Amino acid sequence: MPIDSKRIIELTSSLPITSNEKGIIATFGVYVTINYNEFFFKLVSRVINMLDNSMGHALEQRLYDAVLECAYHTFHGARSSMDWRDLILPMIQTPEDEIHALVALTNIFGIGYVEVEELIPGEKLVTRVRNAYDPGRYLEEYGPQPRGRCYMLNACTASYMDLVYAAQYPNGMGTFTSTEVLCRSMGHPACKFVAEPKQSR
Amino acid sequence: MAPALKFDSDHNTIEFNGSLVSLHCHHYNCGLLKTIEEVPLVDGHAVIIESAAEEFFVNFKQYLSRELEGVSADRALHEASELYRFMGFGRIDLSGLTAQGGMAYADSSYYVTAWLAKYGRRVTPVCYFTCGFIAGILGAIFDVPPHTYEVTETQCIIMGHDENCEFIVSKKRNAD
Repeated sequence: MPIDSKRIIELTSSLPITSNEKGIIATFGVYVTINYNEFFFKLVSRVINMLDNSMGHALEQRLYDAVLECAYHTFHGARSSMDWRDLILPMIQTPEDEIHALVALTNIFGIGYVEVEELIPGEKLVTRVRNAYDPGRYLEEYGPQPRGRCYMLNACTASYMDLVYAAQYPNGMGTFTSTEVLCRSMGHPACKFVAEPKQSR
Repeated sequence: MAPALKFDSDHNTIEFNGSLVSLHCHHYNCGLLKTIEEVPLVDGHAVIIESAAEEFFVNFKQYLSRELEGVSADRALHEASELYRFMGFGRIDLSGLTAQGGMAYADSSYYVTAWLAKYGRRVTPVCYFTCGFIAGILGAIFDVPPHTYEVTETQCIIMGHDENCEFIVSKKRNAD
C-alpha cells in the first residue's frame, strides 16, 4: 500500500486556513467556517429532542444528504487542487489508493479520527471512527441512544465511494449509501460505517 | 488577539482557544440551516441563535479571562469582531454596542456569501448565527447570561440591501 495516511494528514493539516480581508475563507472550491463542535451538537440534538422518533429520523436523513453534498464537492475540490497534485497525487496509483487518501484528508477537518477498516473495490467500504465528537456528548447529555448519531461521518463514507467508483464528477453523488452499524452513542467502543451501492441495499 | 488553530495529530482534532472546533463548507452549513429552519412546528431560528449565543458566551468569556483580563468593553468588542473574521463568518462592526444594546453592521457575511453560492437569493434574512454570536459575546463582555440580549437582523444583504446586514440589539424585558 503506497498510501501513507499519516504523511497525508501531516502535509494537509499544515496548509494555511485563513480568512481574507472580508472574513471569508475560500478553499478547495468551497466557503469554509471554523466553528465549535459543541455548537453543532447543541443545535442538532436540541432540535431532534423536540421531534418524535420518525421526524427525528427524517431530519437526520436530510442532514446526511447535506453532508453528502458537502463531502462530495469538497473532496472533489481538494483532489482537483494544486496542493493535492503536488503533495498527494504522486502517492496514488489505484482507485483504492484514492479512497485511502480521501479518508486521510478527512482527518484534518476536526470531525474525528477516521480509518479504513475494509475496502472491496467498487463494492464496499467500511470506516471506523474512534473519537467523533457528537456520540460522546449524546451519551453525556441524553444517555445511550436508540440509533447511531453520526450522520456526518456516515455521509462522508458514502462520498468517498461516490467520488472514486461512481459516474464521473458531478454525476455520481448518491450512487452509494452508507449505514452506521456501530456508534459510541449506543455504547459501542467506536463508530463504524458501511458504504455499499444503493441498489444492493 | 493572535488566534491559532492547534491540530492534534494523535487524535486528529483541532483546538482553538481551548475548545474543539471543526471545519465545514457552505454546502453543509447552508444545508444545515435550511434543514433546521424547515422543520415543522419547531422555531429552528431560535435554536440556532440560542446555541450560538451559548457557545460564544462560554468561549469568549474564557478567552477574555485568560488573555484580555481588564480590557475595556470597546477593546473586547474589537477582539470579538476579529474572532468573527478569523473564524470565517465575515466582517462585522460591533463598535455601536454597549451593555444596553445598540446596532451592529456587517458589510461581509459568510451566510450571505454561502447561501448565494448554494441557493441564490431569498426574501428573509439569513444571518441567524450572527444574532447568536452578538448575544453571546455581549454576555461575556458585560458579564450577564447569554440570553440577556435580543438580537434581530433588520436588514440582510441577501434580501437586496446593498451595503450592510444590520442587527438591532436590546435587552430582553425580563433581563434586569
